[in-house]
Amino acid sequence: MPVDSRRLQGPENSFSYKLLEKKNDNEEEAALSADLQKILIGTNKVRKDKRIPSDARPLCNVTITGIVSQAKGSAYIEQGNTKLVCGVYGPREVQKKSDFSLNGQLFCEFKFAPFSCQKRRGHQQDNEELVLSGLLREALEAAVCLHQFPKAQVEVNVMVIENDGSPLAAALTCASLALASASIPMYDLVIGTSVRQLPKLLLLDPTKDEEWEPELNHDEDNSNLTIGFMPSTHQIAAYVHEGVSKTEDLEQMLKLATEYCLKVQPVVQLCLKEVVEKTLSNESENKVDE
Amino acid sequence: MAEILLSEAEKAFIHHGVQDDLRCDGRTRLDYRPIILETGLVSNASGSARLRLANSDILVGVKVELASPSPDKPQEGRLEFFVDCSANATPEFEGRGGEDLANEICRFLQRSYASGDTINLAELSILSGQQCWVLYVDILILECGGNLYDATFMAVKSALYATQIPSIKVATMDGDQPELELSDDPYDTKRLNTENLPCVVTLMKIGNHYLVDPTPEEECCSSSGIVVAVSGNKKITAVRKIGSGSLHPDSLVSMLKTGSDVGAKVNKTLMIKLLEEKNLEKSQKVGFMR
Amino acid sequence: MSGNELLSDQGLRIDGRKPNELRRIRCSLGIFSQADGSAYLEQGNTKVLAAVYGPHEIRGSKSKALHDKAFINCQFSTATFSMGERKRRPRGDRKSTEMSTHLEETFSAAIRTELYPRSQIDIFVEVLQADGGNYTACVNAAMMALVDAGVPLKDTVVSCTASLVKDVPLVDVNHVEQSGGSPELVVSILPNSGEIVYMSLTQRFHIDHLSKVLDTAIKGCKDIGAILNEIMKGHLTKLDTSLQAS
Repeated sequence: MPVDSRRLQGPENSFSYKLLEKKNDNEEEAALSADLQKILIGTNKVRKDKRIPSDARPLCNVTITGIVSQAKGSAYIEQGNTKLVCGVYGPREVQKKSDFSLNGQLFCEFKFAPFSCQKRRGHQQDNEELVLSGLLREALEAAVCLHQFPKAQVEVNVMVIENDGSPLAAALTCASLALASASIPMYDLVIGTSVRQLPKLLLLDPTKDEEWEPELNHDEDNSNLTIGFMPSTHQIAAYVHEGVSKTEDLEQMLKLATEYCLKVQPVVQLCLKEVVEKTLSNESENKVDE
Repeated sequence: MAEILLSEAEKAFIHHGVQDDLRCDGRTRLDYRPIILETGLVSNASGSARLRLANSDILVGVKVELASPSPDKPQEGRLEFFVDCSANATPEFEGRGGEDLANEICRFLQRSYASGDTINLAELSILSGQQCWVLYVDILILECGGNLYDATFMAVKSALYATQIPSIKVATMDGDQPELELSDDPYDTKRLNTENLPCVVTLMKIGNHYLVDPTPEEECCSSSGIVVAVSGNKKITAVRKIGSGSLHPDSLVSMLKTGSDVGAKVNKTLMIKLLEEKNLEKSQKVGFMR
Repeated sequence: MSGNELLSDQGLRIDGRKPNELRRIRCSLGIFSQADGSAYLEQGNTKVLAAVYGPHEIRGSKSKALHDKAFINCQFSTATFSMGERKRRPRGDRKSTEMSTHLEETFSAAIRTELYPRSQIDIFVEVLQADGGNYTACVNAAMMALVDAGVPLKDTVVSCTASLVKDVPLVDVNHVEQSGGSPELVVSILPNSGEIVYMSLTQRFHIDHLSKVLDTAIKGCKDIGAILNEIMKGHLTKLDTSLQAS
């Protein structure tokens, strides 16, 4: 990949000083015995942020209008410390004429802000971000009525401001809210959530520390699942599983995740309802003024 | 993946075939197309394999190199995947045209090989914190005839199976600089334990049924499916939904089950065939000369 | 590496060949079904794949179209595992781009481009294993793929290398000889007319030697041409019989 020479680059090889940090004795002991469960949740079955395993972080500070004023629709959500903003542009003419298609096209860009993760991210999209963009697009394509705007494209830009676990899940929810606020016709909202699997334990909506780390050498029943669920139509629009698990466990994880999505649906709908009411009342005021 | 244009009638024909469990080429829904596999074709690589699944043609070369381990995992070697979609497959891949597809496959490879259950990266360590083996797994896609994921994973597994890692000894510590001694005998090599490396099964949904090993035409008929990576011990190591459609949770679960069953079978057969191939004499290699 | 090692006192080269001996050439045509034409060619340990698409409509920007002849588009890439040391990128570096341009020039001279105005012919070559003479193997493989695709040619193009060690010209140089510091002359010719369509020289030797080395390279080209002709004929007869049988 060519680097963008116009921007100031850090040294090529550097690593986080946090790797040198001494862990406290308890954790070290647990890490030695590879007992993740002990690291992640104490003996009293409570996670570090005082949630019980099957509890998600609350969706808060959901802002739908005007967060990106130039965009047709936008949304900002916080799920715990995971914060992201999404802007939707279009439908507008397809720029590349060669890509003719009778259906509308979605263009998704998923980007981590350079400061959003523990390790610094580059300004250009890296491979992981490109793949996440692809996943986001495939999920949203299932929800958006593409046939309604032939020969046009809609752009969805997601920027993660702070990543504290489950960024793709939050991005799905955020993007579908932004699409709705841009009045793009959709079959249903896509609500995203993640589940972390540990031996005999499932953690809903894991934080960064709780998320499955790809390189960690822990053996069985350790995985991460992210789904995008469309609650009204009861369909799965995105499904990404990483890590080792048995088929039966996957079923359980899926169940936990879909149940959560069904629970969140009314909350998200309420947010949208408020926006619509506000816009309508604004419009009627404007009319009175005229 | 030369562009495929199907008329509605052709699509209907494929649909009906799938419904009656008799596909256009005479297979049932859970049958694979014939596979040609050969290892040890590229003498400049430490291990290589060429796999041809009907029209999908994949060449994998593994190069073993010395490097220093990453600071956060001092006791492990590394696997680096790189996928290149050759323009030989279709003119669309010319220049950087194949990068999106390559990225997608590359990332899925990384994720499914990430778990300690599949490959023991500690085996690749030479001197903790200072020297380790890096296996560069380079995948060259020469022709796309559908079902790229399955073909790629089988080829990668075969190439890693054939990979020979030279024996190396750490000689006297001279101050801080350890000296590495490479064995004089070029045949003094070891092979990796590849028993548990994952195979992938792609399941595409067409109508109310799903099928394995889709042809390009069938891929064109289907809007969604899943790819399941199944390790040698029948555990699932990664799953992804592909395509722009959505799936019902129930059908997803049943696809997962079938996927893991088929995956285990594929894995077993592949291991048997690889052993048979290893015992063949070198003069019997055919390569691209048919 | 000194000349002594490259050419022994007995007059044999490092791989046991005589100075005027070619490496073994094997070639098979039509190995891919989706491409319009394809070929695989081995020249000793150098292994190359070539695919041809077209003639077809211009892809991408229409401004590339030439009103009186076909536009030849070549891409040269090298598999990352093809050489002793791993390559970071299969294409896009200066050397690959230069190779692509040379291929384009060579084949523009050989293909009857005037038959296909406003269209495009794609030639993609991929080096699977590199052991010297990559460019020549690519030209030869691409030519075979063009034949397989049935693209009209003025003449076949064949390419060969030659070098000079201890004042003895060597034909068809391998990687060790090439990297050993001896000069390398690459020549592509149209064998029937004897025209040279591409020539390049690395390193240096006295101009008095040029004709000798050039003659060796051209002789090599003609020999390779004869071998490829045989392979071509064999392939076509096989095609013919299978057509008649069906």
